Amino acid sequence: MRRVLNILPWRRARLEHELDRELHDHLDRRIDALLAEGLTAAEARQQAQRELGGLPQVREAVRDTWTWPWLDALVRDLRHASRSLARNWGFAAGAGAILALAIGTSTAVFSVFHAVLLTPLPYPDAARLVAIETLWPATGELTPAVSGPDFLDWRARSDVFEITAASYGNTDDAVLVGGRAVFANDRFVTSDFFAVFGQTAAAGRLLTERDVPSGDAEPTVAVVAHQWALTHFGSAQAALGQTVTVYATRLEIVGVAAPGFRYPGVTDIWAPWRVAGDPASRNSHDYQAVGKLSKTTTFRQAQVQLRTIGDALAREHPEAGLKTAALTPLHERVTGEASTTLWAAMMSVIVVWLIACANVANLQLARATGRAREIALRAALGAGRSHVVRLLVTEGGLLALAAGLVGVLLASALVAAIVAWPPVDLPQVGDPRIDGTVVTFALGLSAAATVLFGLVPALQVSRLDLSAAMKQAGSAATASLASTTLRSVLVVAEVALSVVLLAAAGLLLRSLQALERTDLGFRTEGILVATSEYAVTGTPSDLRARTAFYDEVLGRLRAVPGVRAASGVAYLGMGREPRALRDVAVLGRPEAPPGERPQAEFHAVTADFFRTLEIPLRAGRDFDATDTMDRPQVAIINDALARAAFGGASPLGQRIRSGSARSPWMEIVGVVGDSRWQDPSRPAPPVIYAASSQGVGNSLAILARTTEPDPTIATALREFMRRANPAVPVRFETMDDLLDDTLQYPRLRSQATAVFAAGASMLAALGVFSVLGVLVGQRTRELAVRRALGAGSGEMVALIVRQGLRLVGIGLVLGLAAALPVAHLLTGWLYAVSPWDVRTYLAATALLGASGLLATVLPALRAVAIPPVVVLHQE
Amino acid sequence: MTSARFPMPQGTLDMLILQTLSRDAAHGYAIAQRLEEVSRGAVHINQGSLYPALHRLEQKRWLKAEWRPSDTGREAKFYALTPAGRRQLEREKADWDRITTAVRLIFNEGA
Repeated sequence: MRRVLNILPWRRARLEHELDRELHDHLDRRIDALLAEGLTAAEARQQAQRELGGLPQVREAVRDTWTWPWLDALVRDLRHASRSLARNWGFAAGAGAILALAIGTSTAVFSVFHAVLLTPLPYPDAARLVAIETLWPATGELTPAVSGPDFLDWRARSDVFEITAASYGNTDDAVLVGGRAVFANDRFVTSDFFAVFGQTAAAGRLLTERDVPSGDAEPTVAVVAHQWALTHFGSAQAALGQTVTVYATRLEIVGVAAPGFRYPGVTDIWAPWRVAGDPASRNSHDYQAVGKLSKTTTFRQAQVQLRTIGDALAREHPEAGLKTAALTPLHERVTGEASTTLWAAMMSVIVVWLIACANVANLQLARATGRAREIALRAALGAGRSHVVRLLVTEGGLLALAAGLVGVLLASALVAAIVAWPPVDLPQVGDPRIDGTVVTFALGLSAAATVLFGLVPALQVSRLDLSAAMKQAGSAATASLASTTLRSVLVVAEVALSVVLLAAAGLLLRSLQALERTDLGFRTEGILVATSEYAVTGTPSDLRARTAFYDEVLGRLRAVPGVRAASGVAYLGMGREPRALRDVAVLGRPEAPPGERPQAEFHAVTADFFRTLEIPLRAGRDFDATDTMDRPQVAIINDALARAAFGGASPLGQRIRSGSARSPWMEIVGVVGDSRWQDPSRPAPPVIYAASSQGVGNSLAILARTTEPDPTIATALREFMRRANPAVPVRFETMDDLLDDTLQYPRLRSQATAVFAAGASMLAALGVFSVLGVLVGQRTRELAVRRALGAGSGEMVALIVRQGLRLVGIGLVLGLAAALPVAHLLTGWLYAVSPWDVRTYLAATALLGASGLLATVLPALRAVAIPPVVVLHQE
Repeated sequence: MTSARFPMPQGTLDMLILQTLSRDAAHGYAIAQRLEEVSRGAVHINQGSLYPALHRLEQKRWLKAEWRPSDTGREAKFYALTPAGRRQLEREKADWDRITTAVRLIFNEGA
């Protein structure tokens, strides 16, 4: 330790000083002794020094004991490098800032990337966990769910699993806890569910086979999430023995899961259930299934076996359609959509980092060439080539290391910002933070940067023709042709990479714009959304009570001043899972074969729904008070379904059916316009609207169209609902907020890419500028001679600009070539924009071309601004 | 400088320095003098290698040094054994004894 500390300058100075005193003390004493022996002063001094063996050599030998010689050399190099950087503080600050920004953003994105994609799920043997899912081989479509009979058959016939479990559940269910109505995410799970994840209880016990209700009985016990227990009961222990009511089913809490365990998603309550094997439900993909592969099975083997079993079952049950089993690693299922976004972000920041390195390399090259004389002088004085290289690499390394450290600080701030940013909803894998791996990554980037921009120019420079460099007058030593070529290549690469990022950003921004401008078919402004959950068991009296509840609440709401229209809808999509399309049958018409039938989404709404959203009524009537549970069911369809199922004929009075043959026939009483209230990013699908007043559908989201935003309306509505039924939880949003939420990911993607692209383009322009500056500087004399011989300034500018634009041009062409395949990868994120969108590419080209032109014109103008006489006099 | 005197055997300088300082602290010049005297001039101390050795032993914390006035009144850097240095000296002396005993045995055997 002391040896390391001894490199510190102040310790070093003290040691030197004391050594000096010590050695002089020795000499003085020896000289005194020799004088006593009768030698003259001069003789005594000479002999004393000879006996000691030369002061400089002794000093050097002593110094070697203070610290390791290599450390000493390193410190000397570092000191030299830092002095050299300090002399060029402008370069050091600029290059350092560019690098620190690039390393900081890369590191921040990497820390998220690492936490989500490189960290195993926080369960024992997480690598063996798989999601068991349904694959439709004809279309390649994957449904991340299984039907009950399929699950039981697959499980019975396979031997690749150690254990499996299935579950189904709802998000935002109405749950009564301690007399209060709250939204909760509940999950009905098979008894092995917790065992799959290797979980133990934080308090009480987990679910067992004995908890599973038999036959038609309801479950009686539940396990709750640790966080949920803390929120509602104060502690895990306090939750035990308490009761929660889910869908009128009273569940006694017998256990609390370990802190952090929420699978799937953010589950609050787990209750025991048994997978129903009812053959009629083979096509209801109600369950999510997970399994742990046995130790001796590889993922591939399991995949192959399940596929074989699934194929066999499809032959045995042709009525269920052509489907089979598929496995997905659970990690992949959990990280899902975030994974592509993260990969894209990671690639973008690495590209920006590469451009930053190329840029600093260019600056370094320009500097190194300017220093050719200094380096040549060093070489002439005996510094070996390796020494010169070491010096330049140390300089680069010092810069990169400083930038890396600043980058890590920057990254820790950025990570905190990313995690706290509402639109970023990260999958529950690991927490992004700056840990050893992340710091290693940052330092790795620094080291790689050193090689990229330190070593390459160093080797380049050390190859300089020494005698030529020495002969050059002044500081304008000409770079070798090779180093100019290298710099040109770097600039071309920067421009090309920038084009790729710019094009990607352009496409994503245009998609976002298109999304924001889409005609949704309804007016979103001024709509208050109150999501509620009225728990029912499905008995007719229950359904009647629910209808009465909503009738009462809506009636009171419509009377509130400022409310222009109010209604309810059973499932307000807006960014949540879209509803499945179901087959539509028309009474009196032969049914088309499966796959050719018209399909539609099915939604339950109340009267005034269309008036509230301002969706036009094309024909017929809206639902009204006459549509009760005692009357035959009626339906309203939208234009898309009218076109698809009835062509030009009027659908009014026709009877249709949605889904299976057990569904009732419904008479069409109205036709409304198409709209995208379920999902703004998809074209309006065909829709059948049913009247929720006829007992169809679930609880309602209440919509109120108000003349102006008024918080008292929400307060009033909450009070109406509480008075009508205190067990119904409610949550308020506005339609604009919900719409905005659906745009968060596209917005995040396009804005992040735009920022990266802007950074990259600016760096590229800076690169062009600096290279041109150097080239012009080198040719100052030649240009002056030409002008002295009569060439015009305009001609000179054109000459230089041509040279610069050639580099930019090559970069643009290469960049466009690389951008096309990248754009193709983005197809899934593009909306109403083709990946080959010519306007985007033209804009990207124009933007970079313009900044490139500016970056070449400025040095050219500067060159011709100096009168030739001045230049020639200087020589 | 007479060449008749022994050059210092490799690796023994450290041990001799420790031994010299085992009685009391001394400065560099005094250590050199003492070694010359005690060996009755038979051992030649290369003064040039004395200081690197002292500093090396100080870095290893076998010696500690402090500046204080010497008999002549001038300040000098006095070296003294640390407890670790004393233990090291015991170890080295034991090693030395074993080696010389072994060598003597071999010589006697050969005679």
